Amino acid sequence: MSQEKNQKQYDVLVIGGGIAGQESGLNLANSGYKVLIVEKDLSIGGKMIHLSKVFPTLDCAACITTPKVSECARNPNITILSNSEVLEIDKKGENEFDASIEKRPRYVIEDACTGCQECEEVCPIVVDDEYQWDLVGRKAVYIPFSIANPRVAAIDIENCILCGACEKVCSADAIDFTQEMEIVNITAKSVIVASGYNLFDPTQIERYGYGKFGNVITSMQMERQLVPTRPYNSVLRPKDGKMPDNIAYVLCTGSRDEVVGNPICSQVCCMYSTKQAQLIMGALPMADVTIYYLHIRAFGKGFEEFYQQAKGMGVEFVKGKIGRIAELENGNLKLRYEDIHEGVVKEAEHDLVVLSVGILANQLPRDLFKNNNLDLDKFSYVKQIDELSNPAKTSIDGVFVAGAASGPMDIPDSISSAGAASSETASYLRRSK
Amino acid sequence: MKKKIGVYVCHCGNNIADYVDVEKVKEEIAKEDGVLITKTTMFACADSTQKEVVDDIKEHELDGLVIASCSPKLHLFTFRNVAERAGLNPYNYVQANIREQVSWAHSNDPKGATEKAIHIIKGALAKVKLSEALTPPKITATNVVLIVGAGIAGIRAAIELADMGTYVYIIENQHFVGGRTSQWNSLFETNESGEEVITRLFTELKKRENITLFTGTSINSTSGSVGNFEVKLKISPRLIKMDCVKTDDAEFDKKLQQAIDICPVEVPDDFNFNITKRKAIYKNFKSEFPKCPAIDDEACTKCGDCEQFCEAIDLHQKEEFIDIKVGAVLLATGFDPYEPPKGEYGYGEIDNVITLPQFKRLIELDENELIYKDKKIKSVAYIYCVGSRQVDGENKYCSRYCCTSAIHSSIQIQNKYEGITSYHFNRGIRTYGKQELLYKESSEKGDIYLQVDEENRASVLVENGKTIVKANDILTAGKEFEAEVDLVVLVTGMTPRAEKRTGEILKVPIGRDKFFNEIHLKLKPVETVIDGVFISGACQAPFNITEAVKLALSAASKANTLLNKGEIELEPTLAKINKGTCDWCDECTKACPYDAILKTDLDGKAVAEVIEAKCKGCGMCLPVCPVDAIELIGYSNAEMESIIDAMIA
Amino acid sequence: MDTEKKAKILVFSTDKISDPAIDLAGLMKIHYSPTVYTITVPCSSSIKSRWIMHAFEKGYDGVFIAADGTDCPYGESCSELTGIIVGNTHELMKAKKIDPARLKMAAVCSVCAESFVKHMDSFTKYLSKTENTN
Repeated sequence: MSQEKNQKQYDVLVIGGGIAGQESGLNLANSGYKVLIVEKDLSIGGKMIHLSKVFPTLDCAACITTPKVSECARNPNITILSNSEVLEIDKKGENEFDASIEKRPRYVIEDACTGCQECEEVCPIVVDDEYQWDLVGRKAVYIPFSIANPRVAAIDIENCILCGACEKVCSADAIDFTQEMEIVNITAKSVIVASGYNLFDPTQIERYGYGKFGNVITSMQMERQLVPTRPYNSVLRPKDGKMPDNIAYVLCTGSRDEVVGNPICSQVCCMYSTKQAQLIMGALPMADVTIYYLHIRAFGKGFEEFYQQAKGMGVEFVKGKIGRIAELENGNLKLRYEDIHEGVVKEAEHDLVVLSVGILANQLPRDLFKNNNLDLDKFSYVKQIDELSNPAKTSIDGVFVAGAASGPMDIPDSISSAGAASSETASYLRRSK
Repeated sequence: MKKKIGVYVCHCGNNIADYVDVEKVKEEIAKEDGVLITKTTMFACADSTQKEVVDDIKEHELDGLVIASCSPKLHLFTFRNVAERAGLNPYNYVQANIREQVSWAHSNDPKGATEKAIHIIKGALAKVKLSEALTPPKITATNVVLIVGAGIAGIRAAIELADMGTYVYIIENQHFVGGRTSQWNSLFETNESGEEVITRLFTELKKRENITLFTGTSINSTSGSVGNFEVKLKISPRLIKMDCVKTDDAEFDKKLQQAIDICPVEVPDDFNFNITKRKAIYKNFKSEFPKCPAIDDEACTKCGDCEQFCEAIDLHQKEEFIDIKVGAVLLATGFDPYEPPKGEYGYGEIDNVITLPQFKRLIELDENELIYKDKKIKSVAYIYCVGSRQVDGENKYCSRYCCTSAIHSSIQIQNKYEGITSYHFNRGIRTYGKQELLYKESSEKGDIYLQVDEENRASVLVENGKTIVKANDILTAGKEFEAEVDLVVLVTGMTPRAEKRTGEILKVPIGRDKFFNEIHLKLKPVETVIDGVFISGACQAPFNITEAVKLALSAASKANTLLNKGEIELEPTLAKINKGTCDWCDECTKACPYDAILKTDLDGKAVAEVIEAKCKGCGMCLPVCPVDAIELIGYSNAEMESIIDAMIA
Repeated sequence: MDTEKKAKILVFSTDKISDPAIDLAGLMKIHYSPTVYTITVPCSSSIKSRWIMHAFEKGYDGVFIAADGTDCPYGESCSELTGIIVGNTHELMKAKKIDPARLKMAAVCSVCAESFVKHMDSFTKYLSKTENTN
């Protein structure tokens, strides 16, 4: 065997530290298995940790994720590699997966940094904050977000001018510009792919004007304006900072759309838009909210009731197909749409348009496995080869799938899917012992 | 009373020190009784500080520890671990929150913030002085799970639990396993039939030696609590001895058929949702498990005609009871299809109006031509959301599976039979996710979709002997549309099981939709407020098969984690009854949401007693006691009042 | 800063629900009076009247229960039971000639930072006023 002797061994390699990765990792760790979670971002938490309140119970997403995140960080059976990416996995035999992982430098010593943020204050560089979906700026040395885990700083070396101000101010001596990229090789007995999803990029639909018209935003950008740690402490239109009072939602942006190559339904947009509409009515009591939809898919436990509640609160639901959006001089937007109820083409003016963007497969698992084929479905999601009775099973024995890596999914579905993955993994590990 | 307390006041970089005069705080606290060491530190959570604290505890034999820093939500466990590493009981550590609730909250008033920090730390000192060294109580747990319901969810959970090393009892109140899944024919999206899936899984189940199955069985009563439930099972008579299948298949099938043929009793066949009839002795399909047929005790007239064909028939069988001991119970009891009342869209009045489950059985039974009541079906109208999304009725919820199921059936009949026209009177098609492809396929095949809404629903009527469905179609601007059809399929939803006893015995809460309720959809999706009782699948809410299986596997994982160590650690924050003071009055038992308080006897006096395994430490019993005989560990009168005193002193 | 004596308020908050909201108020740097002191309990329906009465005896001007409301992780009876505690304590207060308005209760959810601060501001204002008129 050419394996290095000191190569670390785990029972389970979990790819992705979002809600599905956390849930399956925790289940297995609590059963005594050694788990490695590899997360590409600077913090675990995935997309969910950035959300405001979540449907249909309207409890805050952070309140649900952060305890799980800290449980993961605290669990002695879980190792987390953040800011890292699995490059390649090679199945050597039953219960034997070799993985090489790229651990990117943070330029901050994780164990030393206390998250005091003094470096942020002195850093002279301001760039768009990707964790706030570019709504505001951040420094080149920064703590990704207030509830990040690990809650330690990182330096964005691309934008850093190496002025050394952070190094001088850091009382914990945590800044280290000499860090380099590392390749970590590990072996694991099983793998859970929990790499989640990507959001549809609406610049692909030119007629909606995203990126061109300042007051056309994505639903994620609206979401960030509704969280307790929101950037503007209010809901504002990005172009001129005006408080909007007539907001439109365009559902199925990038979903159920053959033209953009995604004919399937994203399963979450109807509900998150309905939820945002309810939150907006709380934040801006005078604002009107109109949701342009094709079908409202309020299918889950408590969803239909939630949809009816939104209607009761005065959210306007218009069955209509949006043709195009045009920008007016005052920054308002004119929507041309087919009103399906009345069978005519109409126009409506709104001062903020939110595109309810859909979910697309994360391409990461595609070329991950060497010498083995991880089957994908025709939308590039990881294929569930026995969907009805082994929902986490993939085409490679010992590799399981959890959460939105196998298809569009909301949070409760992702959690139960992660539960299934951990259960199937545990019995695989026991069976093949 | 603790006398050697260490207090550490954290700067948190500048987060605290900018607004709170940390040195002054230190000086003031050092004056307090019982404080042996007072230090300030740049970062209490830093590794170096943690080491220093461990060394201090050991060197000075500290008996209490206070760290004044951020919110305990962030670092309570970090510092409890520090205490533990130094050999100090973690419950002798108290965190004073002087960041979130002091320096940040009062960054506009440094003087006020400093004063408050001192008071808050004094409060923490008061608490630590009275703190007890606690060890979480442990109870032994039986690594055995009782699964109720041998449908797809129950069977899947059983296999997984067995493979994870947990012993499983699985009970099914029908005489055969498979639940609703075995009644469905071709399934989306693999096109396997329910029979095939169940047969495949049950074959797997039978390979496991650590699974015991009881059919015709339900829970009669339970006692005990998490880790140690005692359950009495009731086995209803099958009237045929289970070991009847001795001979080879062909011989057995012949005998069975003879017994069935001679049986004089005919009843509606509920396996086919009553569109056909069956005899009192029956089996639903050939590969069904257990292989032994059953006799319907209620329908059977005990005429004995069948006995001549089979010595295993025993019409004198009586119900039996078995006691088992289990650590947890998993309910996978499934759903009942919505049964429309007579007259809803003509159901029960117009001959050719049937429900979706009936239609699905019909497709299964009709091999070459689709025939219902001797009439060849050339056109079908589907009316959606029957029994779901009710405006006037009680079922406000969406039943989730029916849009997909109806469309799937519609595609299936297009493929299986020739030339059928389908009209779908829907209220917005909800083929979420990848199921969207089915909707697309069906539209492309020429199915006609008409949309109605809550106010303007479709109606079914008979005109000149012809069945007509009428509606105003939203998709064509409300134009009235009429279709004459051979068959009307009411796309009925899911409802909670009519059988309520199991849930009642186990005290499982039900939600506003009347399905079983989990603690929290996202945090504890398969757990109930009753520790050790799990739920999964369509007994929680409408789910399709894959979704139900995912939940079942999640529950299997949680139940195994709970039990596999052989013992369960409980929170030490429990209610304690002062039995000397207690004058049994029942108020505490009424206030307790967990049935954790019992009446017991103390030297002839009735008093209350807390069952540790059930108590969750909420303290709801404390204020209701008229003689103040209950205290919560960690929140005693002495502790609370001394904190209150200290914060204002 | 103002030199006037500020009302001292004891807040009973709950570990899982209202504590996080009060922490969040700090995180967002929304200010309230620094003479507000928090004591944590598992659930708002576990608060004994004698603790509240004890606080009044020791000189707190007001007591505020940041209740779990419908978010209570221990069950639905919480709101009702907490209501009863407040009612009973009001009776005890009346017997001792303490203004019942010095005990207040409101549901504070885990992200209700702003509403917590609003409650504190108006309660402080009320208590300071009554003190002046006394």
